[in-house]
Amino acid sequence: MNTIYQKRARIRIIILGFFFMIWLVGLTIRLIQLQVFEHPRLKTEVLEQNQNKNTINPKRGTIYDCTGNILARSLPIQSVFYSPFKGEPSHLQFEKIHKLKKILDLSQNELQNIYKRIEKNSSFIWLKRKIDPAKEEKVKELSLSGVYFLEENKRFYPHGKLAAHLLGRVNIDDVGASGIEYKYNSVLEGKKGEHLILRDAKKREYRFETLKEPEAGKDLILTIDETIQYYAEKELEKVMRETEASWGTVIISQPATGEILAMANYPTCDLNNPLPMPLSLDRNKAIHHNFEPGSTFKIVTASAALEARKVNLTDSFDCSQGSIRVAGKTIRDHELFGVLSFPEVIIHSSNVGTIQFGQSIGEEIFFETIKAFGFGEKTGIDLPAEEKGIFRPLDNWTQISAASLSIGYEISVTAIQLLQAINTIANKGFIISPRVVKKILGSPDEAMEKPYGRRRIISERTALVLTSILQKAVQRGTGITARIEGYKVAGKTGTAQKFDPSIGTYSSTVHTSSFAGFVPADNPALSMIVVIDGPKGPYSGGEVAAPLFREIASLVLRYLRIPKQGEHLNTIIAERRLRQVER
Amino acid sequence: MLFVCCTIIVIFILTFYIWHQMESIRIGYEIGKLEEKVLTLRRQVDELETEKSDLLSLDRVEKIAKEELNLVEPKKEQLVYDEFIH
Repeated sequence: MNTIYQKRARIRIIILGFFFMIWLVGLTIRLIQLQVFEHPRLKTEVLEQNQNKNTINPKRGTIYDCTGNILARSLPIQSVFYSPFKGEPSHLQFEKIHKLKKILDLSQNELQNIYKRIEKNSSFIWLKRKIDPAKEEKVKELSLSGVYFLEENKRFYPHGKLAAHLLGRVNIDDVGASGIEYKYNSVLEGKKGEHLILRDAKKREYRFETLKEPEAGKDLILTIDETIQYYAEKELEKVMRETEASWGTVIISQPATGEILAMANYPTCDLNNPLPMPLSLDRNKAIHHNFEPGSTFKIVTASAALEARKVNLTDSFDCSQGSIRVAGKTIRDHELFGVLSFPEVIIHSSNVGTIQFGQSIGEEIFFETIKAFGFGEKTGIDLPAEEKGIFRPLDNWTQISAASLSIGYEISVTAIQLLQAINTIANKGFIISPRVVKKILGSPDEAMEKPYGRRRIISERTALVLTSILQKAVQRGTGITARIEGYKVAGKTGTAQKFDPSIGTYSSTVHTSSFAGFVPADNPALSMIVVIDGPKGPYSGGEVAAPLFREIASLVLRYLRIPKQGEHLNTIIAERRLRQVER
Repeated sequence: MLFVCCTIIVIFILTFYIWHQMESIRIGYEIGKLEEKVLTLRRQVDELETEKSDLLSLDRVEKIAKEELNLVEPKKEQLVYDEFIH
C-alpha cells in the first residue's frame, strides 16, 4: 500500500514539478523578453506615463514709469491642456472635449485641430491658454479625466492704450513682439526653470522635484511719465478727431538728458484687447515713419549758415517777388514779404529768404551740418526698428538739392530725429541721444543710471542766436499759436506738401504739419515735436501743430510745477496769503 | 548596572534622534506651507497693485472727477506753486 501511495505521490510530484518547470521556464522567457529584448521600448513607455518634466515659466519683469506707476505686469493665470490616457477610444475623448466647447469658447477650427492631435495620439494638447478664473472653475467642476491646468503668466497693461506703441506687445508665449517688450525681451523674460513630477500607476503624483529654479525677469523703469503721456495722448486725440488727419505723433523730452517723457501716437489700440490693425498704423510713427519735414528743417539750415559765418543777423534778403527760381524750378513763399532780415526770414518762415542764405553755405558744409545733426542716421533710441530717414550722399545731389534741403525737402526724417535736432539747440549746441529706459532694476549697475553721451556739434553762440530767433518766431511769427502766457517758448513750424506718387509731384491738398519747440527758452524743462499727417481743413503747422504744442506744454508745465517766468515762489505765496487776509 | 545605564543612554539617544527627525520633517512641512503662503500673498500684492494702477488710470479718474463729481479745471489765478522742481 505504502509503495502504491508513494508511487502515486511521486508521479503527482513529478507532474506538478513538470508544470512548475514549464511555468518557470515560461516566466523566465517572458522576463527575458520584457527585461532584455523589449527593455528600451518599455522603459520609454513607463517614463512617458509616470514621469513628467515640465518647464516653469519665469515671471516676466514689470515695466514702471519714472514715478513708479505700473505700465505692464505679468500675473499668473491658468491654461487648460489635455493629456489622454493610453488606449482610450477616440470617440470617448472627443465627447470629453465637446463638453468643454462652450465653456472654453472653442471655435470649430480649434476643435478640429484638437481632434486631429488626439487621432495622432499626442500626449499633450493645449485646449485653451490663459483663461479667466470663472472659466477655470467651470472646467474644474466637470472633473474630466485627462484635462489638466498649467499655470502661465499673462501680461496686463493697467492703462490699456496708454503708451501702447512704445510699450509694445508680447505673444501668447510671453515673448516680446514689439516696442520695449521686444527690445528688452532678454532682460524682462528671465530664465526658465524645470520641474519633475513622478506619478504612480493610477496617475497620482507622489513626487515633485524642482530640477532648476526659474529666474524672474528684471523690472524696467522708463523715462516716460504716465501723466505727461496721458496729456499728450488726450490732446493729440482731440486734434486728430477735429482735423480728421490720417495719423499724428507727439514726443516730449527733457532736453538736458535726452530722456523721453512721452511718446504718443494716433491711431492707437488697447494693449489688453488688441484689435487687428493695418501694419502701417500698428507701427510707432514717432520712430518708424519717414517724412519730409518742410520748414521745421530751417533750424538746421540756419545753424549751418551761422556756423559757417555765411550770414549775419543784420543781413537782409529780398523776398518781395514771393518766389525764387532754382535750376528751372519755381519755389514760392506762403505769403508775400518785402525785404527780410536773417532773423525775420526764420521768424516768418520765408522759403525764398532761406534758399538765398542756404545756397551761400556751400554744399559740403551744409551736408556735414545735416549729418552732424544726426539726419540719415538712427538716433540710437532704445526702441526696436528705428528708421534712419532718407538723406542722399553729397555725390547724388542735383543742382536743386541745396535749395530743396534748405527748406526741408529732398530729405526724409523721423519725428525723433527732429526732436534730437531741436534738443541740440535747447542744449546750447550739444547733441544727446534720446532714450526711454532709465534703469534696469536688479542688474549689477542698478544704482548707477545709464550715462548719456553728449557732444558739441554747433557753437554755443549759434545755439543762443537761434534760440532767440525761434523765440521771436513764437512771439510774432508763424509759431504765434504756440505762445504760452508767462513762458518764453522757442519753436519752429513746418508745413510740408506731401509727394503724391500717383501724379508724380507734390500734392497741393495733402500736407504734413509739424512744430518743434522747447520751453522755457532760456532754461528748457521740456522739448516737444508734434507731427500731424494729412489734416483736413486748416493744415499749416501754425494752425494745427503749434496750438497742440501750446495745449500740451501748458498742462505739462503746470504738472512739473514750473512757475511762469518773472514770478517767484515767495511772491505767489505772498499773494495767496494776501487774498486769504482780504477774505 | 553599567548595562542598564548604557541601555538607558542608547534609548535616550535613539528617542532624541527619532524626535529630531520628526521635528525636522514637521518644520519642513511648516516651512513649505509658509513659503506657499508667502508666494500666494506676493501674488495677491501684485494683483492688488495692478488693480490699484488700473483704478487710478488718469482717464478713469478724470472721467469720474468731471462727470460724477462735477469738478472743473483750476483757473490760472487759482494755481499756486509750492515748490520748484525745475
